[in-house]
Amino acid sequence: MSLFGQRTVIDIVKAGGTRPSEEFNADKLHSSIVAACLAVRTPEGQAEAIARDVCTATMAWCSTKPEVTSSDLRRIASRTLQTHHPDAAYLYKHHKLIV
Amino acid sequence: MNPETLLTLALIVACGLIHASYQLSVSVLTLLSGHAIGKKTHFKRVLRLSGSYLLGTIIMTLLLITSAVYTTLHIFSHSGIPLLAWAIVCGLLIGLGIATWVFYYRKSTGTSLWLPRSMAQFLTKRAKTTRDPAEAFSLGLSTVIAEILFIAGPLAAAALLIPLLPSTGWQLVGILVYTLSASLSLGIVWILVGSGHSLSRIQLWREKNKRFLQFSGGSLLVLLGFYLYTEKILFAKAVLLGGI
Repeated sequence: MSLFGQRTVIDIVKAGGTRPSEEFNADKLHSSIVAACLAVRTPEGQAEAIARDVCTATMAWCSTKPEVTSSDLRRIASRTLQTHHPDAAYLYKHHKLIV
Repeated sequence: MNPETLLTLALIVACGLIHASYQLSVSVLTLLSGHAIGKKTHFKRVLRLSGSYLLGTIIMTLLLITSAVYTTLHIFSHSGIPLLAWAIVCGLLIGLGIATWVFYYRKSTGTSLWLPRSMAQFLTKRAKTTRDPAEAFSLGLSTVIAEILFIAGPLAAAALLIPLLPSTGWQLVGILVYTLSASLSLGIVWILVGSGHSLSRIQLWREKNKRFLQFSGGSLLVLLGFYLYTEKILFAKAVLLGGI
C-alpha cells in the first residue's frame, strides 16, 4: 500500500532512454527524499515530514501531465526541497554529479 | 639527517600531496558515507564502512608505491637511475599537469571528474550498494586503481626519488611518507564525516574550490617536472661535461 494511498498513472521516462518507462511511485520518491535529509543529519521525524510535503507538491505538479522524465521529477522535487532544507536539496540535486 | 635527504623527503611529500589533490577517492567516500547515513545505518557502522574504505585506499597506495620502488631498485640497482628515466618521468609530470588543467573536472556543475561515465556509474552503484566493511575495503582498492592515469605521474616521480635516500630504513620512511601524504585529503574528509559534519557542506566546499584544486594540482605537477628536469638532467649533464 502506497504511503500516499493513491495509484497514480503517470509514466516516468528514464534518463538516457535505454531503460523502459516506469509508473510513478510516490514511495520511491519519498524514500529518496528521506535518505537525502538523513544524509545531512536531519532528525528522522523531520525528514519524514519534509519528504511528505515534497511528495505532495511533486505529485500535484505531475498530476496534469501524462508522462514526465525522471530529470523533471528530480528538478521539481529538489526545487520544493530547497524551500524546506537547502542542504538536503543540494545533495539530492547533485548526487549524480559527485563522481 | 643531511640536507640532501631532507630535500628528497620534501620532494616525496610534494609528490604525495599532488596525489592527494586528485579527488576520485574523496568523491567515492562522500557517496559511500551519504548512502550509508541515508539508509539509517548505525553511525558506528558508517564509521566502520568509511574506515574500511580509507584502509583500502591506503593499502593500495602502499602496494603501488612499494611495487614501483622495488621495480626501480631492481632495474637500476647497478647502474643508478639513468637520465632517460628522469626525462620520461619529467615528461609524464608536465604532460599530466597540463592534462589536469585541461580536463580533470568536467565542465558541468558538481564535482564530476574526467572518468568515463560508465566507470563513474559503476563506482556510484558500488558505493550505494556497499553494506559490508570488506566490500568497502575492496571499493577503496579499486578506486585508487581507477585513478591510475593521473596518479601515475607523482607515483613514478616518488619511485625514482625514494631509491635516492641513503639507506633501506630511509627508503621505508620515504614509502610511508608518500602513502600518508597521498591519503591526507581522504583522512581529513573521513575525520570530518566522523565528527558529524554535514556531507552537503563538505561537497559544497569541494565544488566551490574544485578549480583551485585542479589548478594547484596541475601547477604542482608542472613545477615538479621542471624542477626535476633542471636538477636531475640539466645539472647532471653540466657536471658530466665538466662545466660545474
